[in-house]
Amino acid sequence: MARDSKASKSTKQSAPKAASASPAALIAPEHAAFLVPGVSVIAASRDARLVPSVSRGVACRVSEDRRSLTVLLRRTPAATVLRDIADSGWITTCHSQPSTHRTIQLKGRDARIEAPGPQDIALAQAFVDGFFAELEPIGYTEAFVRTVLFFAPEDLVAVRFTPTEIYSQTPGPNAGQRLA
Amino acid sequence: MNAAPLSVDAIRDCLEGSVPSAMATCAPDGTPNVTYTSQVEYVDEHHVALSFQFFNKTRENILLNPRATVEVTHPRSGACYRLSLMYLRTECEGRIFERMKAKLAGIASHTGMAGVFKLRGADIYRVLSIEAVPGAALPLLAPRRNLLAALRSATTRIAACADLEALFSASLTALVSDFDLRHAMFLAHDAADNLLYTVASRGYPESGIGSEIAIGDGVIGVAAEVRTPIRIAHLTEEYSYHRAVRETAREAGLAFAQREIPFPGLPHPHSQLAVPIVAGPRLLGVIYLESPDESRFGYDDEDALVAFAAQIAAQMLLLGDAEEPAIEAEPPVVAQPSDTTPLTVRHYAEDHSVFLDDDYLIKGVAGAILWKLLGDHQETGRTQFTNRELRLDAGLRLPDIADNLEARLILLTRRLAERSSDIAIERCGRGRFVLTLRRSVTLINVPRPGMAA
Repeated sequence: MARDSKASKSTKQSAPKAASASPAALIAPEHAAFLVPGVSVIAASRDARLVPSVSRGVACRVSEDRRSLTVLLRRTPAATVLRDIADSGWITTCHSQPSTHRTIQLKGRDARIEAPGPQDIALAQAFVDGFFAELEPIGYTEAFVRTVLFFAPEDLVAVRFTPTEIYSQTPGPNAGQRLA
Repeated sequence: MNAAPLSVDAIRDCLEGSVPSAMATCAPDGTPNVTYTSQVEYVDEHHVALSFQFFNKTRENILLNPRATVEVTHPRSGACYRLSLMYLRTECEGRIFERMKAKLAGIASHTGMAGVFKLRGADIYRVLSIEAVPGAALPLLAPRRNLLAALRSATTRIAACADLEALFSASLTALVSDFDLRHAMFLAHDAADNLLYTVASRGYPESGIGSEIAIGDGVIGVAAEVRTPIRIAHLTEEYSYHRAVRETAREAGLAFAQREIPFPGLPHPHSQLAVPIVAGPRLLGVIYLESPDESRFGYDDEDALVAFAAQIAAQMLLLGDAEEPAIEAEPPVVAQPSDTTPLTVRHYAEDHSVFLDDDYLIKGVAGAILWKLLGDHQETGRTQFTNRELRLDAGLRLPDIADNLEARLILLTRRLAERSSDIAIERCGRGRFVLTLRRSVTLINVPRPGMAA
C-alpha cells in the first residue's frame, strides 16, 4: 500500500486547534488495517446552505503517523462534493467491506484537495481489483465492478483530512457507535 | 449532463436494491453524514421512499435538516445518478410500507442481513432533481419482451372470454404465452371467509386448485390485504409459503391438516410477485407469479401486470355479476351408476369439509354446495341445478353481494375432475349445471361437535 510521503507537512498544515484538541492519532491501527483494497470509498460534504453532496470514490490511504486519511476521488463525477470540500473543509467518508458488512465512517473539518501522489494510480488500481475480489463471490461481474469504479488517471484527485470523529456503521445494534 | 430533467420513473431500475445506495445528510451544525442505504423505493414520478430501520445520525439529521442527497447505481449498466431529496414524512403502515417491508426482507436475506434489517417506517421524500453522474456505463441488453405488446395481446385474449372459467384459463395462458412467465396462479377472493383460494394455476406438478391463503399471509396475502402489488427479488424465509404452510399444519394439528389442499408454489422461489385484482374497493382475487431466478420481476413487469389485472377485474365483474338467465339447453344423457359398491361421502358440518371415502376433497362454501347437490339428488333424484337456486339457498351462507358463486362452482368442478372419477359437475348452459354420478353414494353427515346428530 502506498504511504503518504507528506505526512509531516500535513501535520504542520492541518488546523492547529484540531491538533491541540486531539493530540493523538485518531485512526487506530485496526482502522488503518481495514482501510486497504477491498473496502468501498464514499465521500460527502455540504454547501453553505447545508445541502449535502456525495460521490463514490476509488481508493483511500492512511498516513504513516495515522493522523490523516487521503481519499482518491474522480474529479468529474465528484465535482459538487469537491466544490463543497474546497469551500468548507468539511468531509465525511464511509468505507464498507462487502463480505463482512463491516463499515466505518470518518469525519473531519480540514479537508484539502491535493494532486495525487506518484503511487496513487497504482493504489487506485489495487482498490478496483480488491473491490472486485470482494464482490465476485456475491454475483457481481467483473465488467460491472470495473465500470462502476472506472477512472481516468488524469481525472484522479486526492483529498486529505485529519479525522476528528470515527464511527462504526456496521449494520446492527452497534451501528452509529463512536469508535474514536 | 442531460438537458431534459430526469424523472424518477426513468431511473427506477436503480431502485431495485441490488446495489446499495450512498446517502448523505447534514446536521444543523454543518457536519455531513454519509451512509449506505439498502432501499430507495419508487413511489411516483416525483417521490421516493427510503427505509427507516435504525434510529441513527441520518434519522436525526433529516428531522432537523430535511435535505438529503442519494447516489444510486443502475444494477446492469453501472451508470450512477444523484437524487436531490427533501424529506416530507414517515409512514409506518399502508401500501408503501408493506411493499418496502416485503422488498427489504428479500434484500436482507440476499445480503445475509435477515434478522438485522427491520423496517420501522417508510420515509417519503420529494425528489427535487436527478443528475446523471458523468462516468462509464455498460450497454444495456434489449428486454426479453416488449411489455406493452404483451399487455395488448393478453388483453385481447381475455376480452374474448364468455364465462369465468374461460377467463381464469385465458388469464393464465396470457401470463405464460404473452408475458413469458413459467409459474403462475390465479386466486379468487372469498369475501365470506376473507381468504383467497386457488382457482387455476400453471407450471406446477400439482394444480393446487382449492388451496387457501389467509389475507395478510405472505406475498399473496399482503398484496390482498393492502391492495397493492408486492414484489420480492430474492428468496426469503419471512414470505415463504413453504414455512407458512408447515406452520399452519402444525398449529392446526394433524387431523385438521389433512383438510388442507397443499399450496402448489415453488418450494424456494427466488422471485415473487403478487398483484391484487381489484375493482374499486372490492378485492376480487390475486395473480401470483414466481420464479426460481433472482430479480426476475422489475418495476416494468409490475406495471404491466397491474394494468392486466385491471382488465381481468373488469371482465370478472362483467361475467360474474351478470344476471344468469337459465338458458335452456339439452340436458346431457346421464349414465346410471354402474358400480355396486357405494362411495362414502362424509360431510363435516363444522367446516363443510367433504371426504370421498377417506380422501379430502373440499371444504367451505364449495363443500356445502356439493353436499346440497348430493342430498337433493338422493332425495329427489334430480340431476340438474341452477346457480340461482344456490344463491337463494340460505343454508349455503352465500353473502348477498360479491358472492363469487361462479368461482366456487369452478373450484368444485375442477377439484372433482382432479380427485374423483365417480362424481362430476358439468355445465349445461349459462347458469345451469348437471351433477353426474358414476357410482352410487352413501351420505354421512358429521354434525358440529356438541350438537345432536
